[in-house]
Amino acid sequence: MDFTITEDQAVLTQGVRDYLAGVHAPELLRALDASDSRRSADVWQGLVEMGLPGLLVPEAEGGLGLSLLDGVLIAAELGRAGVAEPLADTALIAAPLLGKAGNQDALLAAIATGEAKIALQHPVNPWVADLNGASHVLSVKDGALLLAENNGRADLLESVDPLRRLYAPVAAEGTEVGSADALLDHAALIDAAQLVGVADAMLEQATDYAKNRSQFGQPIGSFQAVKHHLATAVVKIEFAKPVIQRAAVALAEGSASAPVHVSHAKLAAADAAWAMSETAIQTHGAMGYTYEVDLHFWMKRAWALSGAWGDRAFHLARIDAAVIGGALPIGPGHSFA
Amino acid sequence: MHLAYTSEQQAFRAEVRAWMEANVPKKPLVTLEREDGYHQHVEWERKLASGNWGMVTWPEAYGGRGLDLIQWLIFEEEYYRAGAPLRVNQNGIFLLGPTVMEFGTDEQKARFLTPMAKGELIWAQAWSEPNAGSDMAAITSKAIRDGDHYVISGQKTWSSRASFADWGFGLFRTDPDSKRHKGLSFILFDLNAPGVTRRPIRQLHGDPGFAELFFDEVRVPVANRIAGEGEGWNVAMATAGFERGLMLRSPARFQAAAERLVALFRKHEAAAAPAAREQVMQAWMDAQAYAYNTYAVASKIMAGGHIGAEASLNKIFWSELDRAAHRTAMQLLGASAELRHFDGGALNTWLEGYIFSLSGPIYAGSNEIQRNIIAERLLGLPR
Repeated sequence: MDFTITEDQAVLTQGVRDYLAGVHAPELLRALDASDSRRSADVWQGLVEMGLPGLLVPEAEGGLGLSLLDGVLIAAELGRAGVAEPLADTALIAAPLLGKAGNQDALLAAIATGEAKIALQHPVNPWVADLNGASHVLSVKDGALLLAENNGRADLLESVDPLRRLYAPVAAEGTEVGSADALLDHAALIDAAQLVGVADAMLEQATDYAKNRSQFGQPIGSFQAVKHHLATAVVKIEFAKPVIQRAAVALAEGSASAPVHVSHAKLAAADAAWAMSETAIQTHGAMGYTYEVDLHFWMKRAWALSGAWGDRAFHLARIDAAVIGGALPIGPGHSFA
Repeated sequence: MHLAYTSEQQAFRAEVRAWMEANVPKKPLVTLEREDGYHQHVEWERKLASGNWGMVTWPEAYGGRGLDLIQWLIFEEEYYRAGAPLRVNQNGIFLLGPTVMEFGTDEQKARFLTPMAKGELIWAQAWSEPNAGSDMAAITSKAIRDGDHYVISGQKTWSSRASFADWGFGLFRTDPDSKRHKGLSFILFDLNAPGVTRRPIRQLHGDPGFAELFFDEVRVPVANRIAGEGEGWNVAMATAGFERGLMLRSPARFQAAAERLVALFRKHEAAAAPAAREQVMQAWMDAQAYAYNTYAVASKIMAGGHIGAEASLNKIFWSELDRAAHRTAMQLLGASAELRHFDGGALNTWLEGYIFSLSGPIYAGSNEIQRNIIAERLLGLPR
């Protein structure tokens, strides 16, 4: 029993954080927001050069062969930096699924080099993110996960998140490469991990604002009312993190209870991020209600990721069936059941 | 990260389970906040000690088993799984014991730790005073040096276990001219010494769980002081750190409550309010999250790390989840929630638990103090 991340994992996570803080700062988000495509070939190329698309691709296919636990740590950094390029979908969700499917060496190699981008279509979402621009689509038919090249063009739906690119779904077709449920669980887990990163970014922005904004002759962060709002949000964020790590380990091991733990992770992360978003805008006061401060990018991402890959009702229903329904052993001694 | 128990850990779990199944009283004890219940709980402490289960994380030299924190978590899981009684010696196990181990002399360790481990001496804590609650540095109770004794005068309050316990520990002002955090010393005293008066205070549930203590020129040997004269504040902060940090409330306690709450919900499902279903799930999720976090902190400490201001996150999380879980139970019980005993005589443990849960956000540093610590020490907001 050892519930720690390794020194290597900490170093990798910090490295990605530092890199993104440099190349993917809020100025970039504003520039992307002003562009037509909301995507940048340069940013993608930078992510490729960092080796990020290949993190979970097996070493034989040119990747780093890392685990899903590494995946959630990196996903949080993508959320923290507000990355909207389809990196999480391709590298952290599709890659491990295709790795398990077998016979996908060429596609995995293309993911590692950044040439392949995989769009994810599942009935739990009424839309598909980054369909245009994707080389392949994973879609769902009769509970099976199908892989096909992406030849179609679909209608763009406008998200409140200015950097999200959402499209109407296409016909599900292709080669069977796994199960619909596996896609949902992997995607919900990575979604949850991004949400805590999003929450951490909003916490940092709100904390900085509270330190620098003065009223009544002192920083508003010296007032207990402001401190306590922020402290309450920290508690929720910090207690979501181990839930996500625990779910990552369960899913990587193929544990039968993994879906329950993924749902727990998604609920904890979404609740924490949503609460943080309201705390952050409140801390910013009227400034928070503008398009001029950076906060809105992350707040909107929190709303979007909260509803995607299974909303509250969906994930509560899975907890309900397991916990109240009795399928999962509960109580002392069953922490890791 | 490896989230599975080793075969040694599994064997240890089996050993604890077997002992608990053979020894945990079949009939619930009377509450330890009453004199008869207190003595039943002291008997239980001695039973635990007879199996060497009293102070499992303490070194063997002081009557413990020298277990690591993961083994402690397993022990606690089996303890709550078996429905074993509350620990009347909690103050000794988790507060005073670690303090004496860290700051005490060899003589003090020999004198106090072994009897504590055997359940021979039960300890009360004496921090707060009528005008020193959250602001503990406002303590005014004095311990004036007179040769090889201190003479203690003053008053302590909200002193847990003090109605019936044997000894107490707390902070006293040894430098009468000092202010705030300076000039305080950490002193152990016999609650039966001449000049000590205990006034039991009835708690919310009606029983005298804690007491006011009046000191009228109580003579206490200087040898009862832990660490140097005037160093009491740092010692007390370390003690408060043990309390908030990890061991005060093990996750098993809340996992057991969540398990019972799920069972209660199933029984009352037909009449439950729509929100109750989600609240019950939240109770399970929060208890699990607390368990994962505790395993993570335990693993970190075992790998050489420390727990600092993060302890305040723990204290807020467990105290608020506990209150919410018991509130949910009270609402599920509806008109029966107010009954002290149900039809047939069984104690309404949800009511007792709810009442106790209301103290969680207050004691061991109120949750407002914890939020200040988080804001100032973790987030770096100005004081």
